[in-house]
Amino acid sequence: MSSDLSALLSATFYEAGDEHRVELIHQRDRAARRRLASLDLAVYDPEGKNLTAVPLDTHQEILDLGTLVGAVAAGRPRVMVLLDARYEEQIFPYRPHHYGFLHRRGSTTAALYYALNAVLGGVPDRIGATGLNNFETYIFLREAFAERYSVLLGNPARFSTAEAQVTAYYATGRLTQVVALAPKAHREVALTSEHAGERLQRVEIKALFRLASYVVGRRADSGELVLFDHLFSYHR
Amino acid sequence: MAVSLRALARRALGVQRTPTYYLPWLTLNGLECALILNNVEVRFKPGENQGPYPATVVQLDADGGVVRTSQVSVTDTADAVELSMTPTLRGYGFVTVSTEHLHSDLYVTVADGESYTATHGRAEFVETYPLRVRLLLGALGALLAPLRRTIPAFVRDQYAYAGPDGRSHLLLLNLSNVTNRIRVVAHRDGARGTTRLVAVPPLGARLLDVGTLAPAASGLTPLALRLEGNAWFNLYLVGAGPRDLAGPLSLMHVK
Repeated sequence: MSSDLSALLSATFYEAGDEHRVELIHQRDRAARRRLASLDLAVYDPEGKNLTAVPLDTHQEILDLGTLVGAVAAGRPRVMVLLDARYEEQIFPYRPHHYGFLHRRGSTTAALYYALNAVLGGVPDRIGATGLNNFETYIFLREAFAERYSVLLGNPARFSTAEAQVTAYYATGRLTQVVALAPKAHREVALTSEHAGERLQRVEIKALFRLASYVVGRRADSGELVLFDHLFSYHR
Repeated sequence: MAVSLRALARRALGVQRTPTYYLPWLTLNGLECALILNNVEVRFKPGENQGPYPATVVQLDADGGVVRTSQVSVTDTADAVELSMTPTLRGYGFVTVSTEHLHSDLYVTVADGESYTATHGRAEFVETYPLRVRLLLGALGALLAPLRRTIPAFVRDQYAYAGPDGRSHLLLLNLSNVTNRIRVVAHRDGARGTTRLVAVPPLGARLLDVGTLAPAASGLTPLALRLEGNAWFNLYLVGAGPRDLAGPLSLMHVK
């Protein structure tokens, strides 16, 4: 991991049984203009233990995380996957490993496309992002569904434990959880759908620095993903 | 240089760009679709964090006709207004939201009664072409259509996936006032495959099944799609399950 301007660290989570693909080059990065010099994949268990770290062939277009990660993740319901890229800065503002595809094998739910978290370097450093990327929020539909909500948090730092404050907002009340994550550790933080008779309206995550963060909605009966989205930052 | 040439061409042709925030909507097979309008992202921005925030929402159908116009007001940065989309026969299109006062990402949700999923809209623009250019594009488009070609004024590349369990569709949005003939070419493993030409009415939308661009396979097939349109357009990815459009669906923005 590096804060080099031509580096980008992206993070996602792989869950056993998922068909999970990540595009390796960006949609607008034509083959003749590929500028990806190197890409390393590292996988971490919930406690932050490194399960594997391997360089990848940068000529691939799509990564199949099931093939790459499935074996080392065996027995664990979820692992954090970090993609550490080095590339020529001409690629900006379009970056590699930007979008992913996610679907549980055999599931009747809809396949999900999502945007990967850029947790270090990349777009925010290059184009002057106007948001605070360690202070994020997400709004929920108020109707009650047979769905449970959570946030997936991962600490991409090498040395520092990160403390995150996760606050769920209701019409008049709020519930706050404080989560401490060791380096490379990750956790799914459940959000209470209803509190004191009020529906969950919004979640907010505060941390001292950027974490890997996704909002998750799962079918209450099967746990299958139906919502997998990034949060939104506040404007400065 | 390419951007400058494009700007010069727009000026020469008299094309106007109107900043527009838009989101897709889907009500296929009884899906409930709603927007979540809010202004939470300016909560800590002095000068902008005082409501109310009025907005006009225009729902357009697949053929570009106005389904409904709504006036809404977000009272403050803690408020979130949910606005249901009106179902139509085709069941999809896009919706524009005036954002003179709203400076936050707006959500679109799709619910099947048991669960819901969501994505957000895009702050881009709509292009308005003068009559002479519309006539010219129409004539050239008609000439090229039998060859499954279009004027490649705008090009996008997008990965999509096709498989028996995880299906995908492209929701093509025509962000202009001219018929947009969008050519979609699928590449698999570097080899060029199927080509489709889709004519999208002004301010309209069309769904294209990614599965029709790939040979039937037992597993998931990644496809590199190249899309060319004679006018400004964008797309959303529609994810489906084994029941395809008859089952639950998801939506996802692209750049």
